Amino acid sequence: MRFEGTLDIAAPRDRVWSFLTDPKQVTTCAPDVQSLDVTDPRHFKVVVRAGVGPIKGTFSMNVEFTELVEPGHAIVLARGQAPGSAVELRSTMDLAALDGTRTTMKWASDVTVSGMIQQVGARLMQGAADKITQQVFSCIKAKLEAPVTA
Amino acid sequence: MATEIGGIGSSVKRKEDARFIRGRGNYVDDVKLPGMLYLDIARSPYAHARIKNIDTSKALAIPGVLAVITGKDLVPLKLEWMPTLMSDRQMVLPTDTVLYQAQEVAAVVATERYIAADGVAAIEVEYEPLPVVVDPIKALQPGATLVREDREQKDNHIWHWEVGDKAGTDKAFKDAEVVVKQDIYIPRIHVSSIETCGMVASFDKINGKLTVWMTTQAPHAIRTVIALVAGHLGLSEERIRVISPDIGGGFGGKVPVYPGYVLAIGASVLTGHPVKWIEDRSENIQADSFARDYHITAELAAKKDGTMQALRVKTVADHGAFDAAANPSKYPAGLFHIITGSYPFAKSFVEVDGAYTNKPPGGIAYRCSFRVTEAAFTIERLVDVLALEIKKDPAELRMQNFIPPTAFPYTSSLGWEYDSGDYGRALRLAMEKIDYAGLRKEQAQKRAKGELMGIGISSFTEIVGAGPSKHFDILGIKMFDSCEIRVHPTGKAMVRLGVKSQGQGHETTFAQIVAEELGLPVGDIAVEEGDTDTAPYGLGTYASRSTPVAGGATAIAARKIREKAKLIAAHLLEASPDDIEWKDYKFQVKGVPAKSKTMQEVAFAAYTNHPQGMEAGLEAVDYYDPPNLTFPFGSYICVVDIDRGTGEVKVRRFVAVDDCGVIINPMIVEGQIHGGLTMGLAPALYEQITYDDDGNIQGGNFMDYLLPTAMEVPSWETAKTTTPSPHHPIGAKGVGESATVGAPAAIANAVVDALAHLGVRHIDIPITPWKVQKILKEKGVAE
Repeated sequence: MRFEGTLDIAAPRDRVWSFLTDPKQVTTCAPDVQSLDVTDPRHFKVVVRAGVGPIKGTFSMNVEFTELVEPGHAIVLARGQAPGSAVELRSTMDLAALDGTRTTMKWASDVTVSGMIQQVGARLMQGAADKITQQVFSCIKAKLEAPVTA
Repeated sequence: MATEIGGIGSSVKRKEDARFIRGRGNYVDDVKLPGMLYLDIARSPYAHARIKNIDTSKALAIPGVLAVITGKDLVPLKLEWMPTLMSDRQMVLPTDTVLYQAQEVAAVVATERYIAADGVAAIEVEYEPLPVVVDPIKALQPGATLVREDREQKDNHIWHWEVGDKAGTDKAFKDAEVVVKQDIYIPRIHVSSIETCGMVASFDKINGKLTVWMTTQAPHAIRTVIALVAGHLGLSEERIRVISPDIGGGFGGKVPVYPGYVLAIGASVLTGHPVKWIEDRSENIQADSFARDYHITAELAAKKDGTMQALRVKTVADHGAFDAAANPSKYPAGLFHIITGSYPFAKSFVEVDGAYTNKPPGGIAYRCSFRVTEAAFTIERLVDVLALEIKKDPAELRMQNFIPPTAFPYTSSLGWEYDSGDYGRALRLAMEKIDYAGLRKEQAQKRAKGELMGIGISSFTEIVGAGPSKHFDILGIKMFDSCEIRVHPTGKAMVRLGVKSQGQGHETTFAQIVAEELGLPVGDIAVEEGDTDTAPYGLGTYASRSTPVAGGATAIAARKIREKAKLIAAHLLEASPDDIEWKDYKFQVKGVPAKSKTMQEVAFAAYTNHPQGMEAGLEAVDYYDPPNLTFPFGSYICVVDIDRGTGEVKVRRFVAVDDCGVIINPMIVEGQIHGGLTMGLAPALYEQITYDDDGNIQGGNFMDYLLPTAMEVPSWETAKTTTPSPHHPIGAKGVGESATVGAPAAIANAVVDALAHLGVRHIDIPITPWKVQKILKEKGVAE
């Protein structure tokens, strides 16, 4: 499955960049995070709970920033498993500064889901993914557009 | 008299139903032993992946989890692979690579079923996904993803098999006036028996005896397989007891050895405790062997008047990741070369190529002997394609071409010797019962009004009763079957067989054969199967073989008893054995009906007053290797109406005329046909297992895999003709699979017939409303 879109964020590009490429900050917007273990700036492990309708799983995800080109281009590869299911995700992100205070993020994700979640929930997957995407982005927007606290 | 005895031809009520309808059957999952442990299996979410690491520590930390078994643990025992019936091998557990989704990866043994499942959820496997190939045609192309790295041959081609006269067939096609060609896909389907597979394995460490209760259609063969596979671990055949208790449907799916069985045995040997393994529904439908999955290109050459001359068939067979087809014939595509069907093709040629894909093993003979459904569907569909091409009525075209009754025994151009048949009689009866001429008139009127109605025929010929040792063996063991009869002093009998009922009614029908041969009431005859410690060796029940093979053994064993009984009767009647005749189920002095002895009187004498010099007792055993297969046949006619709005196909009427030779129990045969027709309707309109490009199974549960229910099943109309098998001891041919084999083509032909005037020539099954609606839209006739 491929998902893509554009998001306007009322925050300067370097702030958006540092938020999205910092495992500790960006995972605050991931769905239902159980734990985070940062190996190095490019690698981290995160455990999230996600699923489709009643089929929920605890996914243990290995995440790697395979490309980080400051100030605006990144590719992230995430691979994880829940009992009976597996997920693989490759996302690209490009940030463009609209002006000093606003940033446009162009993003695209290729997601492969295998196992029970795919078998049982295939027809609901698109809707569930849209919902998760919306939640994640509104969280990112909210956090970045909030006034900076020192 | 026959009704009192309950012999051949009586609709005796099924003896086994007394326990089944009261919920008192005894299935594997009903077996409970003291100290029993439970096994559950972790399975791969990926269709193809490298296993980088399996972390079992969290699972082992759960209280109640006693052991976790991985592929690496099986290596020192040499049990990580097991042989298949097809000269291939299959992983029990993988050591480094998984080849299909839901493949077994590790097993957890625990004190409770739910703890075992928790253990499975706690196993952490690190996978590196690999490219996936699910389409066998693509799998055979150069550069395709390699499924089986363990083989020396570095491509996905398993075998090539061909039969027939290639040059002669090619020439016939070159010279032919008419040639029709059709691509036909017979989709992958699953037997979906109501009872899933399972086992209770109990190893007694003191005396080294292994007892297993197992859902198997072939307990004796399994005992030998266990001894061959695990003999090096000390399991020798005299210390292995396989018990196949009541089985809730087999249909071919309970012939193979699945990894779970091996793991349950291994876990019991390891722990010294009984171990139970029972699949859940999703495991059953996702990982157990599949049926069909044949990509066929079929061509038929004929004269302009419709006289069929030659048949040419090319097929790619998808066998999944392991060639573990349940096929004991000497031919990799089973009995697919029955594809000439009911017609006397002078020349024919068939070739099949097997391919590996990232899917579970295929090749279950799902209620179809071995690839007979694929064959019957193809030829019966192709005949209709020819009928369309030359604008001839499909019934007339069949009548014109049938092998005539005078031609039997008939040897086909692909080498089978058909035992007996009268195909025209069966089709005429079906046409009469359904009022074929009237239906064609009605169809013409409806068509004028824009309504879509179709009539489909299938005049199939089956090949069952595996089988003669020249065509079949399992690991070299010939496919005879056996019956042992003991007549007790009070005139009651115990009958034991090497086959195994999964619902077919053996306890009734085999008792009826003995009743007929010995003149004992059917109620006085107990039939027992499935326990290798007590039953004579046999190869099991599948491929409609029980009546053709074990039925023959039963009749002959009974006749051996009657021979001895005759000598005892002569002794009791103080007459010469030559003066004794078997008449009205009694031994009589010829011409003196008053001087007679019943079998009960003879049985008592066999233990109390047997002649000097004769062994006491009244027992016999027979191992019957049939001289030939049997060839049941039938003609089915189906009427469908198609909804122009939804594309839904409704089966309005279905007349099934079957000829399975001599019928033992008409009620049971009718039940077999009803069930078989329903299982033929299923792939025609509903069932199919597909995979997405990543190898995810689509249809791995009963929400997505559409089994027909009472709501979808029409009211079947059955009738029969009787053409006895000349070589079978009681003239029977077997009926277990006829309807599954014959029905799909009748339904598909009816749908195509309804749409033929729009230019439709073929639709692949399952013919779903979506497919039909798409055609209606393309043709501009959708409502």
